[in-house]
Amino acid sequence: MKYKLSLLALLTFAFVINAFAQDKLTGLQVMEKVYNRPTGNDMEATLIMTLINSNGDKRVREIKQFIRDFGKVEKKIMFFVKPADVRNTSFMNWSYDDPNKDDDQWIYLPALKKVKRISSDSKGDYFMGSDFTYDDLGDRKPTDDNHKILREEKLNGEDCYVIESTPKDPDYMYSKTVTWVVKGKWIGLKKEFYDEDGEYLKTLTIQKYDKIKGYWIITKTMMDNVQKNHKTIMELKDVKIDTGIPARMFTERMMKRGL
Amino acid sequence: MKYLKTLSIVFIFAIGLQAQGISLTGYARNYMGVLLKGDHNYAIIQNTFNLNVEKTGDKIAFKVNPYMYQYPNMNPELGLREAYLDMYFSSVDVRVGKQQIIWGKADGVFITDIVSPKDLTEFLLRDFDEIRMGITSVKADYYIGDNTLEMVWIPTFTPTKFAPEGSIWRPAMPAFPVKPVIDRSREEVQPNLDNSEFFAKFSALTEYIDFEVMGGYAWDDDPTMHVVKHMDFSNPQHPVLTGITVYPEHHRLTIGGGSFSTTLGPIVLRGEGAYYQGKYFNTNDPRAKESVVKKDYLHYLLGIDYTLMDWHLSGQFIQQAILDYDDFIQNDQYSNMATFLATKDYLNETLNLSFFMYYDFNNEASLIRPKVTYDLADAFEILVGANIFTGTEGMFGQFHDNSMVYTKLKYSF
Repeated sequence: MKYKLSLLALLTFAFVINAFAQDKLTGLQVMEKVYNRPTGNDMEATLIMTLINSNGDKRVREIKQFIRDFGKVEKKIMFFVKPADVRNTSFMNWSYDDPNKDDDQWIYLPALKKVKRISSDSKGDYFMGSDFTYDDLGDRKPTDDNHKILREEKLNGEDCYVIESTPKDPDYMYSKTVTWVVKGKWIGLKKEFYDEDGEYLKTLTIQKYDKIKGYWIITKTMMDNVQKNHKTIMELKDVKIDTGIPARMFTERMMKRGL
Repeated sequence: MKYLKTLSIVFIFAIGLQAQGISLTGYARNYMGVLLKGDHNYAIIQNTFNLNVEKTGDKIAFKVNPYMYQYPNMNPELGLREAYLDMYFSSVDVRVGKQQIIWGKADGVFITDIVSPKDLTEFLLRDFDEIRMGITSVKADYYIGDNTLEMVWIPTFTPTKFAPEGSIWRPAMPAFPVKPVIDRSREEVQPNLDNSEFFAKFSALTEYIDFEVMGGYAWDDDPTMHVVKHMDFSNPQHPVLTGITVYPEHHRLTIGGGSFSTTLGPIVLRGEGAYYQGKYFNTNDPRAKESVVKKDYLHYLLGIDYTLMDWHLSGQFIQQAILDYDDFIQNDQYSNMATFLATKDYLNETLNLSFFMYYDFNNEASLIRPKVTYDLADAFEILVGANIFTGTEGMFGQFHDNSMVYTKLKYSF
């Protein structure tokens, strides 16, 4: 009996320790939960980007995109629909789980009629003239930064961790970012970016997220660059999850053929 | 009037097609250029209308691309850049009709990219989709994962289209002691099955490297100038040259080659090379029949792409080497050329600066192409640029009087 009680106490202690450990997540663990938040095995959607300059002039870009997780590699293909001068351009990205392996990227330019391999090293480049860099669009791995939890607070009625992330590479384009992560949903509800000189640069806010097929999917975001007084609204429409996108969608054949 | 009628029919036809869910895209463009030397003649005043009529389905598709170039006080030039039908099977795509076929990894240089002939009406200054001519052909692509085997059959030969007589872009004829007579009776390649062209390419796109291996049994797109000298032997001690007849003639070429592209960290490394068998070169060898000699040659390139301080940079070194060379051959044994590209975007990709240059080491000549492009609105582009020719000899130097500045306004729809 005494032995049984000791075992029970040990199990209880282990449970409490475990619960305590879960409650006290590290900044890296929180950001990895955001990075690894399940979003289905594959996704198809129309991405609409509205670029708004300081005069309020709007430019609209429309992209049809397909993403599928193949286990060790996630493949994404994008077909540019608008504006008319970039129509039929396509872009393909293969992103590997191996943190030491760079992404492979190709672009198909219809005027040149050929698929060109491009370097994925320029993840700090802005995507299609928007205020989002390729890294901002979710390609940046959590292990590229050091993370610490600054505090916990409510934002838009949601309990959030506030995480400060500083890059391990001192030459990275942001000196730090601060992210509000919704507990349990693991969505980065808001993110502030500071430039290389430590000056406040821009803010990403999530304007809408929906539960689609049981997954939390961010469907509308806005990036507000205060230094350039330029905004980009990014909206996902016609989102379809786990429809079984075939592997042949992520090939040179489809890049050339288009939609 | 005939052209206006044709254009009206195209428009009415196009509107009807759109009603059937057929996509209509294209552009309207104004292009004006002025020469920097002399009386500042206009290098070009051109209005262009380009229409893409397309429908894509799961199993079939088609595309027709009519275009019109209009020049002041001249009849418009109408044509079909492409007009083809697609059939998609589970692992095979077949395209039949007039189509542009582009191969290789080189930019602005034609090494394995020899399937579609070139339109050099404005030398190399047109956009690349306007330089490559569509050719009526049957193309089949067999897909095995990320590998592709492509076979092309071109039933009738189409040569390079050079600028017409009188154009500032007409290539210079070699110097002859007397004015030659051009006899084009041997120039045409008869359109029959025996004279068709065949090309094949195996290509792979992998996580480490992309590569292509190709072969072709083709015709030389550029005619060889066979030179026949007419001599007066009435005084055998002192024969007199009385005339020269030049016979442009196309010859068969057999080509084998390949290309690759890979990333080394931030650098994209590209290479391309081909072995050409059976090329005819002009020679000064008095024993040579019609002043030509048949030799094989190699043409190859190494290039890198790199991004530095948001500037996208690209450099290529290209060499052509004639094998089994003799000193009578008029071309150099080694022809060396380089290209350099620098481009950068500003103002959320609405403003682009670009600098492109070809440099011909053998003739110390170049073509320098700076340009600024601004998107006034979505799909409306304003371009201001220059084409500067330096040197006096060779491919670029021959056009040293044609340096120009130009503007292009383009609306895409």
